[in-house]
Amino acid sequence: MAGKANHDYHILEPDIWPLIGSIAALTFTSGMVLSFHPDLFGQSGQIVLGLGLAGLIATFFMWFRNIVIEAQRGDHTPVVQLHLRYGMILFIASEVMFFVGWFWSFFDFALFPAALEYDHATGATTSLFGTEGAVAAFIPEGMEVLDPFALPLLNTLILLCSGTTVTWAHHALIHGDREGLKQGLWATVALGVLFSAIQAYEYSAAPFGFGGNTYSSAFYMATGFHGFHVLIGTIFLAVCLYRAYLGHFTPRQHFGFEAAAWYWHFVDVVWLFLFVAVYVWGGWGAEYH
Amino acid sequence: MGQRDTRMKKLILAVVAAGLAAFAPLSVAAQDAAPAAPVAAEAPAATTAAAPADTAAPAAEASSYTPMAPTKGKGMPTSYEDDPIKSLTFQDQYSANGEYALWMHDVILMPVITAISLLVLGLLLYTVVRFNRRANPVASKTTHNTMIEVVWTILPVIILVIIAVPSITLLARQYETPPADAVTIKATGYQWYWGYTYPDHGEIEVISNMADEAAAAKAGEPYQLAVDNRMVVPAGVPLRIQTTASDVIHAFAVPSLWFKMDAVPGRLNEKLLTIKEPGVYYGQCSELCGARHGYMPIAIEALPPAEFAAWVKAQGGSMPGEAEAAPAPAAPAPAADPAPATAG
Amino acid sequence: MATTAEGFDIHQDHGHDTHDHADHKPGFFARWFMSTNHKDIGTMYLIFAIIAGIVGGAISGIMRVELQEPGIQYLQWWAEFMGGGNDLNTALHMWNVFITAHGLIMVFFMVMPAMIGGFGNWFVPLMIGAPDMAFPRMNNVSFWLTVAGFVSLLFSLFVPGGTGPGAGTGWTVYAPLSTSGSVGPAVDFAIFSLHLAGAGSILGATNFITTIFNMRAPGMTLHKMPLFVWSVLVTAFLLLLALPVLAAAITMLLTDRNFGTTFFNPAGGGDPVLYQHLFWFFGHPEVYIMILPGFGMISQIIATFSKKPVFGYLGMAYAMVAIGVVGFIVWAHHMYTVGLDVNTKMYFTAATMVIAVPTGVKIFSWIATMWGGSLSFKSPMVWSMGFIFLFTVGGVTGVVLANGGIDDNLHDTYYVVAHFHYVLSMGAVFSMFAGFYYWFPKMSGRMHSEFLSHIHFWTFFVGVNVIFFPQHFLGMQGMPRRYPDYPEAYHFWHQISSYGYYIMAGSMLFFFVNILYALVAGKKAEANPWGEGATTLEWTLPSPPPYHQFETLPVITDAHDYHDHRPATA
Ligand code: HEA
Ligand code: HEA
Ligand code: CUA
Ligand SMILES: [Cu+2]
Repeated sequence: MAGKANHDYHILEPDIWPLIGSIAALTFTSGMVLSFHPDLFGQSGQIVLGLGLAGLIATFFMWFRNIVIEAQRGDHTPVVQLHLRYGMILFIASEVMFFVGWFWSFFDFALFPAALEYDHATGATTSLFGTEGAVAAFIPEGMEVLDPFALPLLNTLILLCSGTTVTWAHHALIHGDREGLKQGLWATVALGVLFSAIQAYEYSAAPFGFGGNTYSSAFYMATGFHGFHVLIGTIFLAVCLYRAYLGHFTPRQHFGFEAAAWYWHFVDVVWLFLFVAVYVWGGWGAEYH
Repeated sequence: MGQRDTRMKKLILAVVAAGLAAFAPLSVAAQDAAPAAPVAAEAPAATTAAAPADTAAPAAEASSYTPMAPTKGKGMPTSYEDDPIKSLTFQDQYSANGEYALWMHDVILMPVITAISLLVLGLLLYTVVRFNRRANPVASKTTHNTMIEVVWTILPVIILVIIAVPSITLLARQYETPPADAVTIKATGYQWYWGYTYPDHGEIEVISNMADEAAAAKAGEPYQLAVDNRMVVPAGVPLRIQTTASDVIHAFAVPSLWFKMDAVPGRLNEKLLTIKEPGVYYGQCSELCGARHGYMPIAIEALPPAEFAAWVKAQGGSMPGEAEAAPAPAAPAPAADPAPATAG
Repeated sequence: MATTAEGFDIHQDHGHDTHDHADHKPGFFARWFMSTNHKDIGTMYLIFAIIAGIVGGAISGIMRVELQEPGIQYLQWWAEFMGGGNDLNTALHMWNVFITAHGLIMVFFMVMPAMIGGFGNWFVPLMIGAPDMAFPRMNNVSFWLTVAGFVSLLFSLFVPGGTGPGAGTGWTVYAPLSTSGSVGPAVDFAIFSLHLAGAGSILGATNFITTIFNMRAPGMTLHKMPLFVWSVLVTAFLLLLALPVLAAAITMLLTDRNFGTTFFNPAGGGDPVLYQHLFWFFGHPEVYIMILPGFGMISQIIATFSKKPVFGYLGMAYAMVAIGVVGFIVWAHHMYTVGLDVNTKMYFTAATMVIAVPTGVKIFSWIATMWGGSLSFKSPMVWSMGFIFLFTVGGVTGVVLANGGIDDNLHDTYYVVAHFHYVLSMGAVFSMFAGFYYWFPKMSGRMHSEFLSHIHFWTFFVGVNVIFFPQHFLGMQGMPRRYPDYPEAYHFWHQISSYGYYIMAGSMLFFFVNILYALVAGKKAEANPWGEGATTLEWTLPSPPPYHQFETLPVITDAHDYHDHRPATA
């Protein structure tokens, strides 16, 4: 498409997926709204939501497929790789700020708690605002939280461990040891899946339900968004694993892998903050389940 | 839940309206077929003798209280037609902090910002005249002058420090803690009216709706500022104003007292206010709170302390220290908690 | 950070240009719906912004007509028109829907797309001597996500949102009015509108930062970069760091609304004021996002028409950095009345006023650029001079509001409305028109009529001042904002304000006629229609530039003064 470009930048062909992706995103969010209001829209929400989701998945698939094809074709000159590095770092920076929002509300609730009453039997929370002598506490009297030193600690170790296995894979890749790359990635993906499984089990066995009070709102939304990022990261690593089998990546050029690794480390660090702040500090002094 | 809430509130409004039907049916009802209106019209029977006295029939019942007639231009905005100059600036202030703030604005801020704006305009006009293409065909190449750059950095800093000193002082004064014997009044915002309770005075509760156009005209009050039941307070006495809300955020604001404090559900805000002299001071809800955000005015009536005490009596309340009066059946009809559904 | 220059010098010796290939354009559908070309995407952003500006401006017309007289005049009609009921509450709700739509459209779909998406896309690559943006495909998804966001906002107008159709929460979407206070899907659609537009902006921000850091022409160090590029760089960082916090906050609104979380619901211990902290942590940087690119454009234009390099280049660049940094720590000046404690209020008062210092540096440096210059008053220049004066007026009223104790009276009154329209509807909009007239010949290849643009300037100048200056009086007298109706005492100045709107609306005709005239019959524009003052790289290219420019990268040599960004051999 470009003429004789005397530079190393990557001038792209026109591409339909940005448009499809945006339509899919709008379909997806509209489907969400419709499904929030079944009283008005019946079951149409699920259908629209499904269509939007399918469109988004297709877009992501095709988008990254194109990037991989271009990478294999040699379009990713050193300067373009530098672009990709910047892009990934900045994307992670914006993700950090997203989590800042969730931690902000968590600390707001923990440091400036309200007076609440928790009914263990029904899981219902009542505000004691304005009641004489009511004591403010982040975790309402009578509410049990998860024991941080049980499964959450295990999950911490799993994630830390996965951080080392991904580094193992990286070193193997740099040294041309493709078997090591695959083994390291297999281990990392497996640990990621294990983490998600344990997290899912924790949610199902948690002594408190979703929402209803500030602790469970902040807890589920913060750890939930983290869990979502673990999922994305696991898929990202799995794609790298698949590409490793296809013979992609060279010891000198493998930014796709590095991006996945960076992302994985970011997810790991967020977990450490969650573990220390939400599980250990946030639940300090409360009854453990 | 939201819908039940609204219905509940409409019901309550209807009761309020019924209670006051004798004179002041729900203000806006006249413009609008609000469900409250027909009820109000059809249920005069619900009018309790205890409904606060009104301007038309003062002292008809237990009370000797007559709502004070407002003074034009005091505690309310001034129109251009009435006084072009006054319509350009702040309302006259009737609290010490308000006077200080107004002084700060008029003597420091206003001259400073006017001077800066005129300086910038003057410099621009000067360059137009002096450096236009014809007057100055060859442009200079100056791009730096450390001296002048330092000056225009430091000078604003100095100006800002000059502003900051009274500004910080003003804040400190606004945050003085009310003395122990301050009169507490709790203003609660509801969609879309105010409730005033007097915890030191036998929990009197006043429900305050906007007066409709006819009622306002009859009382000689400005429409959209006039209310059916005012928040009555003693003048010259420290008041501890508390605000909260039952549904969404409202804001309790009275421009002529330099007072504005948000009424936030789940929070109790508190601030000291001393009104210098008797009078009627109007304000309006100042945080977007839904459809009738524009129709929930505030009217404070400051009375000499003795008259305030009389008003308290008339409401069936008691002055602090006095023996607790018999529970006040005489409070306006909806003395029941006006929005029970939300607090939980 | 100047890592880009090395490694590209090898290209210098590919002397001859390749314009024959460079101008090969794809077919209509591929060109406009599948674009990966920064100039085409920039054009689409500009067209989109103009459409949004017309919609947002029309809504403000509905508002000004309603406010011309006390009482409710037309809202009932609008309520029925929009499919709502015929009662007063629905009519009053329509007011809140209009101000919400007006605020959101002007902020997210007019100013941001025009300045960053439009002018940023067009001129950042051109000014740094790059062939395109770093991520051309992502550039396109940024644009279409913005469109998707706009469509989601339009959806919201036609579904229930409380006591009538549409989202009536104000552009700030405060809880709990936006949660328990607005039953129905309208607010959900409005929130997702912000998610979509926000996602587009975050992707755009990464794109601009990467482009500016990595694609500057050989020899163009950061300190040789045109100030417009600096302004977009700072803006992109503000977007990158502020928008995700908004995304988190509005996600909390969604889960509070639909899934029973209690972030902002006191019944479960939540706090409505938390939402305000999160919103304004985004919202204050957002107001600088809307003005910094304007600052950048004004710098280019003033220098061009003074025939003089900009005065105090480094001070200008770092003043913007300072505004960006300090902009992140002043947010609670929007919350002086929520019940902050006294120390917090003192801190935010002091911190807020600090921003006047770097902003003053910019104002005075612009004037110093003109000082000693040889000024020609072409239309971009008069708009820029209008900007300097009117932005100052808006800025100094901001300093009044910055005083927490003073804001106790002015908060949520028309004084605030006057303040922010002076910095937005005059500051940001004047800079946009300045930039538009400055670059229109470059973008379209046609000259607009200087006569019409001058008339546009003078009538617009009069119009907006008549609209917004009296609003200071209203605010000081106590007129609260977000009111469809008001006591008789406020009638006169509201009426004047509405008259101003008609002047402004008439003025816009000159703008549209001018564009049409230029596109149909305008003189062909030269590469550099503005003469020797225009020194940045875009003026070295033909008007309009080839479809792919700089296939051989320009080289910026040290021999040049750092304000002269022309390549050695141009
Ligand atoms: C482009 C957008 C923009 C810009 C640039 C600004 C700039 C500033 N704003 Fe404004 N502001 C808004 C958009 C903007 N604002 C909006 C949209 C709102 C309302 C939001 C809502 O509630 O809906 C708002 C509201 C707002 C408030 C809250 C008011 C309230 O709700 O009660 C405050 C309070 O501090 C404030 C302050 C300031 C200050 C101090 C500046 C400063 O940056 C100004 C600095 C500039 C100058 C001072 C002029 C030039 C300087 C000199 C010539 C040097 C000499 C000057 C001195 C020594 C003073 N703004
Ligand atoms: C950039 C932002 C922006 C702009 C330009 C405007 C422009 C205007 N605004 Fe708006 N306004 C807001 C942002 C803006 N406003 C916000 C954030 C609020 C608060 C909302 C809330 O309370 O939640 C508000 C609120 C608001 C109110 C208060 C409502 C209330 O509180 O009840 C009023 C009342 O008069 C008003 C009027 C106007 C008018 C008459 C204009 C006129 O100046 C309009 C004229 C039209 C234009 C100037 C646009 C022309 C531009 C183009 C056609 C695009 C050109 C494109 C290129 C050159 C590429 N606005
Ligand atoms: Cu109550 Cu606004
Ligand atoms: Cu701000």
